[in-house]
Amino acid sequence: MFPSRQPRSFLDAQVLSRLANVPLFSRRPMQGNVSGRHPSPHRGSSVEFAEYRKYVPGDDLRRLDWRVYGRSDRFYVKEFEADTNLRCCFILDTSGSMAFGSTGIAKIEYARKLAGSLGYLAVQQGDAVGISCVAKGITRSLPPTRNPAHLRTFFDILEQAQPEGETHLISVLHELAETIRQRALIVILSDLFVEPELLRGCFQHLHFRKHDIAVFHLLDPQEMSFNFRRPMRFLDMEGGPAIFAEPNEIADRYHQALQTYLGALRDVVLESAVDHHRVALDEDYEQVLVRFLVGRARGRG
Amino acid sequence: MTFLQPFLLIGLPLVALPILIHLINQRRYQTLRWAAMIFLLAANRMSRGYARLRQMLILACRMLAIATLIFAISRPLASGWLGRAVGGRPDTTIILLDRSPSMRQQGPGTVISKLEAGRQQLARTLEMLGSGHWVLIESTSPVARDIESPQTLLKLPSTEPASTSADLPAMLETARDYIRTNRTGNTEIWICSDLRQNDWNPDSVRWQTLRDAFLEFPQSIRIHLLAYADVASGNVAIRVTNVRRVQTAHSAELLVSLKLTREGGTDAPLHLPVQIEIEGARSEVTVDMDGSACELKDHRIPIERERERGWGKVSIPADANPADNEFYFVFDRPQPRRTLIVSEDPRTLAAVQLAAAISPDPVLSCSAEIIPREQMTATDWEGISLLVWHAPLPEADTAQVVQAFLQRGGQVLFLPPRTPNDVAFLGVRWQDWLDVPSETSVETWRGDQDILANTQSGASLPVGRLQIRRTCGVSGELTPLASLKGGRPLLARLPTTRGGVYFCTTTPDAADSSLASNGVVLYVFVQRALAAGAAVLGQTRQLVAGDAALEQPLTWRPVAGAADALSTDYVHHAGVYAAGDRLLAVNRSAAEDHAAVLADDRVAELFRGLSFTRVDDRAGSLVGLIQEMWRPFLVAMMIALLAEAGLCLPRPKPESDASAKAARPGPASVRADPVARAGAFGSSPMRLST
Repeated sequence: MFPSRQPRSFLDAQVLSRLANVPLFSRRPMQGNVSGRHPSPHRGSSVEFAEYRKYVPGDDLRRLDWRVYGRSDRFYVKEFEADTNLRCCFILDTSGSMAFGSTGIAKIEYARKLAGSLGYLAVQQGDAVGISCVAKGITRSLPPTRNPAHLRTFFDILEQAQPEGETHLISVLHELAETIRQRALIVILSDLFVEPELLRGCFQHLHFRKHDIAVFHLLDPQEMSFNFRRPMRFLDMEGGPAIFAEPNEIADRYHQALQTYLGALRDVVLESAVDHHRVALDEDYEQVLVRFLVGRARGRG
Repeated sequence: MTFLQPFLLIGLPLVALPILIHLINQRRYQTLRWAAMIFLLAANRMSRGYARLRQMLILACRMLAIATLIFAISRPLASGWLGRAVGGRPDTTIILLDRSPSMRQQGPGTVISKLEAGRQQLARTLEMLGSGHWVLIESTSPVARDIESPQTLLKLPSTEPASTSADLPAMLETARDYIRTNRTGNTEIWICSDLRQNDWNPDSVRWQTLRDAFLEFPQSIRIHLLAYADVASGNVAIRVTNVRRVQTAHSAELLVSLKLTREGGTDAPLHLPVQIEIEGARSEVTVDMDGSACELKDHRIPIERERERGWGKVSIPADANPADNEFYFVFDRPQPRRTLIVSEDPRTLAAVQLAAAISPDPVLSCSAEIIPREQMTATDWEGISLLVWHAPLPEADTAQVVQAFLQRGGQVLFLPPRTPNDVAFLGVRWQDWLDVPSETSVETWRGDQDILANTQSGASLPVGRLQIRRTCGVSGELTPLASLKGGRPLLARLPTTRGGVYFCTTTPDAADSSLASNGVVLYVFVQRALAAGAAVLGQTRQLVAGDAALEQPLTWRPVAGAADALSTDYVHHAGVYAAGDRLLAVNRSAAEDHAAVLADDRVAELFRGLSFTRVDDRAGSLVGLIQEMWRPFLVAMMIALLAEAGLCLPRPKPESDASAKAARPGPASVRADPVARAGAFGSSPMRLST
């Protein structure tokens, strides 16, 4: 995997070897270039029966279902599902807030682990992988490609992604919804510090474009607990105004705002059929990936 | 609010400590680069009313706890009568103790008198307040004496009840002089009294002088009054108004006149048994009393014919004030009253001689003798009660003789000579005769006291009907007893410590005045002066407690009463005493039988401009003058701390992790071997078969 390079910090060979047995499925039909694991909206030559279709001159006679002819005296052709490969596009939030981490690992690093591992698995099973680093806009972009050599570039981008700047996730998602023309698995790795209602529009836009949306919502445990004792001066990591707060005075309201946000986000992801995973940075990323992959596999059938 | 340790209130600025800590704490902030600003901003936008209110309440509770703790350790006092006057430990505390007979009044349902209650309250209170120095001024002595501690008040004999009336202005003057002489620091004066008018003399000009003197002191002078102003309704006082020995054909009798007075203005009829004791022999008479006063005139008590001199006592059953339930008297065969008239013109003073020689009582022998001035040194002065001097004022030897007579208690009446000289006697000298253009009458005279006083029935003497034609001017420090129109004195008294000296500016001569033709006024004032002289010079004498003029109390021997009195205090305790061959009866003054109490505003007026506080107490009251009230402050502190603790309790956190946990599968499913589960899928893509 890494013939002449230093090993990637965000990749663990043992984890990858364990995850290799769990395929990555998409929840929606994909339009790939080659045959793969994922259902295609078109009919193909897989072994999975899809439907019967009336015979029209020119169809391959080998696909005629003689039994149906014997019963109905009509000519029907069997259609089979087509399996195709997956186009997996990672959208990595590289805004300043992704640099936060109180458990020894920052969100960006955690996102690297997730994206790196998923990207490797996707390429191993023949899927295409691409990435877009977004902050104020799209800072880096790599179209999805099946080429294993392309994986190096993918990892390079992951490695070089540095969190800085403001979050303009909404506009970027809308832009990506327009620019990613073919159906793809859109994996968003972000802390989603935007208004849930605005995300609804993004998710619906992406859904309209027939993408399969998966969101890894990265949150630090300290952001969830807000457990401080001393008065704190909070500096916005994205360059916003600082806030001076007495934690024991503002904690209740912080939690109330957090719960309101999480509730609204839950409603948005449910209504938008988004595969949403809230990830705490103190969780083992392997368990997160297993949960993600197994959940998709179950959904597949 | 007053405090025993007010200097501890200097710690009150510590109340700001919670705010200070809060501000310092806010300065000790940590800076943290934070990602989830979205939630902080939303929290900021939320209503902060309750949170801010809670924060302020917590601070307020902490400040209240500190404040109440400081107040508690400063030992606040409950009673507000001390006002803010008690500001720390004084340098000197002067105690003015009223020991007059009215202070022996007992409280309802108790045997504790006002004086005893006052002593106990003062001992307890002053012990608590503390002082650098203690001084006692009691009503029978004009001397300020140092005492070791307030507890001494309960032990000293000089704080026991006495029969002498108090003189509060004089006691305050003593206090003033003590402060001035000893240059005390911050001083507190404590007065324990029952506010009787006769003790306080509110109309005396000395009050103004005292106020000015206390105001002039540079140091702080605070005056506290412990008042026992309640009057016992129905208390009866008994007094002997007259006693005389009468010789009958076969025996002798005492004619005793009594007067009973009742306090409270009640008119309920009362049958009062009066015990009369004559040197151990007792008899009883019942007096029916309705109204506030009644008299028993000339009650006859038979005595041995041979008993010419003796003593007696009248008493009534115990009531609220035991001090006025007894009265001592002495009796004697009436002594002849002799008047010596020194005159250059005997004819002019014939009327005076007549007035002095006519006895008002058949059993009383009066005589008057006119001698020229040259013979007075050779005269036997034994038994002379009154000297009438109608000559140029005495000088040299004659002046010494007259002064010696005065020192013995005799009375002297000076009438102007025909040709006054420039000689002065005791600072008084005659001036020139003046003819009054037309007959003039007396415009004013003293009817309340002295020799021109009204009769016992209250009728005034016909002084206003006198016609004065010529008067002689007189200069000196005289107190007018009668004045003519225009202010010229007709009769004046020279204040003396012993005896009595009167100056009459006219003579009974018809050319000078109508004294002789009127007769009544001349007779009355001559007889009164004669009686006053005879009273002092007789073998028995009725004395008012505290007034031992012309006597030697240290030589007295107690005959009755005054069982517990010190020999130096006999003059202040009612009883009968023997001074050689003489018998002396000491009793409370007549003013003690009148229960007039000073009104509150009158008392306040007396101390106007001074730092003055007053507390009213009752005899037998168990309530202390001051009560410390640190307990409520400690309770308030505990309540404040509990409230602060309750407000600081963290609110139960909403179940924020419940939704997070719901988003994740359970631990069992997560921890299942992913490889094993992945093996179910195999390495080949899953195919669905129909």
